[in-house]
Amino acid sequence: MSQEIRDSLLLAIQSGDANAFGRWMAEAEPRIRASLRSFASQVDTEAVLQETLLRIWQVAPRVEVDTRGDALLRMGVRIGRNLAIDHVRARQAQPEADVDVSTLEQQACDSAEPDPLLRQMIADCIGELPGKPAQAFHARLYGAGAEPDETLAVRLGMKLNTFLKNFGRARAFLIECLGGRGVELSCITGERV
Amino acid sequence: MDTESLIEQVASAHRERSVDGDVKYARGWHDLNEADRVKAFDVAAQNRELEAALDAEGLSSTARAVLARLGR
Repeated sequence: MSQEIRDSLLLAIQSGDANAFGRWMAEAEPRIRASLRSFASQVDTEAVLQETLLRIWQVAPRVEVDTRGDALLRMGVRIGRNLAIDHVRARQAQPEADVDVSTLEQQACDSAEPDPLLRQMIADCIGELPGKPAQAFHARLYGAGAEPDETLAVRLGMKLNTFLKNFGRARAFLIECLGGRGVELSCITGERV
Repeated sequence: MDTESLIEQVASAHRERSVDGDVKYARGWHDLNEADRVKAFDVAAQNRELEAALDAEGLSSTARAVLARLGR
């Protein structure tokens, strides 16, 4: 998705189109997440990121498209950074270093359009997962962040720790499987975890 | 719970909300040391990348959770 398309989505977002915001988030979320990595040791970046995305939705009607492009994304990165700093201050700690927003934006990975071929490759790898890890992976995937792991584990008849171990095994298996097919994940860190 | 499981838990996209609507920290986050919090960040990034790749609209669980808050 080009910057021009992201900017064109801004008008729809400003009119309250949540589907347009979803399309925008598909592109923007990895970039904003990457911009928060330097805060990861001091704040829960997932919580900060979700709060950031909610605030972006709220302020979007006041954002104007400018000649630099990606005005909403640039604002989002700043909102995320400021929220993270607020959280650090609230915990009475200091950030490790000041953050250059422009540099952070450059560090963010390029998110991809939905790729049917990649989706099929992942689906093929999921099909090779052992039973319990497959159950844990599917539960998280279909849960889409709506339910805590405790609930998902109970539903699967697993203890929480067992569920988490199985999910970790599933991810490791999938990364290994995809690697064997020439697909590397982790565009943010540039290395496998 | 051991560190490996705590990292997996923190890397989930699920976050509780406070009574005033703020997004709360994952329960296990405070139990991780700084290095393991960064590991959890990287695991979460991988999880979101897999989720988005599997989603027809390219949305991760984070994006889905946010959209649910908007009442999409």
